[in-house]
Amino acid sequence: MIVNFLTYLRERPGLLKWSFLAYLAFALVFDFFADRHHAHFWGDHLVGFWAVFGLVGCLAMIVLCKGLSHVWLERDKDHYDK
Amino acid sequence: MTSSIFMHPATMFIIGALLLPLAKKFKVQKIWLVLIPLVAFIQIQYLPESFGKVEWLGFELQFGRVDKLTMVFLHVFTLMALIGSIFGLHVKESGQHIAAWLYVAGSLGTTLAGDYLTVFIFWELMAFASVFLIWYRKRKKSIDAGYRYLLVHTFGGLILLGGIFLRYQNVGDLTFELISVDNATLADYLIMIGFMLNAAVPPIHAWLPDAYPEATVTGAVFMCAFTTKTAVYVLARGFAGFQVLAIMGAIMTLYGVAYAVIENDARRILAYHIVSQVGYMVCAVGIGTEMAINGASAHAYAHILYKALLFMGIGSVLEMTGRSKLSELGGLYKYMPYTMIFTVIGGIAISGFPLTSGFISKSMIIAAAGNNHQLIIMGMLLLAAVGTFLSVGIKLPYYVFFGPKDSGLTPKEAPWNMQVAMGMAAFMCFFLGFYPDYLYDMLPYAVSYHPYTSYHLAETFHILGFTGLGFYLMVKYLKPHDVSNLDLDWFYRRGADWFMWVARKPVSATNEWVSNIYQSVGLRLTMALARAVSWFDWEGIDWALDGSARGVVKGGEQVRQFQTGKLQHYIGAAVALLFIVLIVVVLV
Repeated sequence: MIVNFLTYLRERPGLLKWSFLAYLAFALVFDFFADRHHAHFWGDHLVGFWAVFGLVGCLAMIVLCKGLSHVWLERDKDHYDK
Repeated sequence: MTSSIFMHPATMFIIGALLLPLAKKFKVQKIWLVLIPLVAFIQIQYLPESFGKVEWLGFELQFGRVDKLTMVFLHVFTLMALIGSIFGLHVKESGQHIAAWLYVAGSLGTTLAGDYLTVFIFWELMAFASVFLIWYRKRKKSIDAGYRYLLVHTFGGLILLGGIFLRYQNVGDLTFELISVDNATLADYLIMIGFMLNAAVPPIHAWLPDAYPEATVTGAVFMCAFTTKTAVYVLARGFAGFQVLAIMGAIMTLYGVAYAVIENDARRILAYHIVSQVGYMVCAVGIGTEMAINGASAHAYAHILYKALLFMGIGSVLEMTGRSKLSELGGLYKYMPYTMIFTVIGGIAISGFPLTSGFISKSMIIAAAGNNHQLIIMGMLLLAAVGTFLSVGIKLPYYVFFGPKDSGLTPKEAPWNMQVAMGMAAFMCFFLGFYPDYLYDMLPYAVSYHPYTSYHLAETFHILGFTGLGFYLMVKYLKPHDVSNLDLDWFYRRGADWFMWVARKPVSATNEWVSNIYQSVGLRLTMALARAVSWFDWEGIDWALDGSARGVVKGGEQVRQFQTGKLQHYIGAAVALLFIVLIVVVLV
């Protein structure tokens, strides 16, 4: 049952994409109504601050780590046996 | 009355482990494997506050010291021992179970220890027992990794021991209590470094991602839970409030997660991610406020369960397919749906989804950093949370169970006992998320923190959602490649090679050159001299001393029979002796 359902979803990437985007929209709208009494710093007062933080952080991390791996850290898997 | 019904939990596991072969002989190994951890889990509630005080060679040893900080860790350690043993029920080799239980015993003993000597004894038991969990995989790579693991931990143990000796010399007291930052001396820092090595704090972390992926399927489940979290406990006990730990911990969270983003082997991803998660705890210990210590304990509790769940999920895949590299997996959700669901639960719990255990524990540490006005550290921890969801929450399940392409593998679902164990851990992930007070009531200090505020929810929705968006945009770039990445173990792995080269080439050549000369010139001379001396010794002196040399030769021949020259016999005998001493000491 689960398998069939997942296969159904997997064959419909458009549906997944739109429900994901709907979720993101919901998250942004939700932020307008959040109670900001316990703010730790200025960023906590900005609507959508953590959305930008998440997206930029994620992209930066992928670019930086993958980049470092490609230019420096990457070795054959039996590197130490040679 | 209570004193008559309790037993030191470590003793229980040691005796349980020693009797395991007997249980196997009577075909009750499986029952035994569930019974002992279950009894241990129940009876830790009945431990008195202090027990097992022994005078030994003028030292005051304390095998049992129980307070709230101890209890949180004991609770999750024994629960994890139960889950791990159920996960390994199908393993027939008693040796693996024995190693796992002795390892658990080491961890419980360290947690309960009230003085540094006892800490050290159980600390070493942990290292020596756990290495067998790596060796039992029996591949050359695992044997090698096991030796490296052992060497690194021996090194760490020596630093710890050095610190303990120095401390004894300085203050003449080995009680294991909180050390104040202002009075810390070299001795205390050595002890701290010894502890930090087990907590896998960079730059002394590389043993962890080196060894854990090479352990057996069930062994890795145990290993991911105990070594690092015991280290977190001892750090929290002895070194709360050391600012250096807060900084190192924050760096750890990012260091581990960065490697988790680029690694290819699923278990190595999880191993690097332990470094990241333990970073949160080390950081919290360094912050040192009541809320932070609560956060460290809560996070250790939650983390043990979901990280073990992830190791069980990926372990099941490895067990059923023989593969653990993302580049060789994909599309497995059709064949292992339950394993997939459990692994995803572990993934969302570690990412801190609302209603899971990660949400209620990780946020406590982040809030503690915020309340303490350490904003840079707070930012680093949140960035690591982004990386966590990216690497373990999405990337790992995506490439193993779904992925852009199917691997063509058609494995069977994991055995029932593995699924039961995963189900238990998955249940706990949700249970703690739905009912955080169960965990909060156990914490060392009273909790005033409420995780389910609208702002915290909004923050979490954003971070998770937009990290997901980042993954969606960059998924092509994240495609795993079959490579390994350099880490700081390079220094001792390459260093060992250089050492061997020096030993093999220049040293060996010099040695040969000297011995050639010696053979051609010196040997004859020496032999002649030796014969003369020997004749004098045998005939002259021994005759004078009543034939004792002949007696010694004969006696030596007999002793030689005992000494097989096999290293494993010596180690076995030494370990057996240690256990007997321990049991006697603890029981009496």
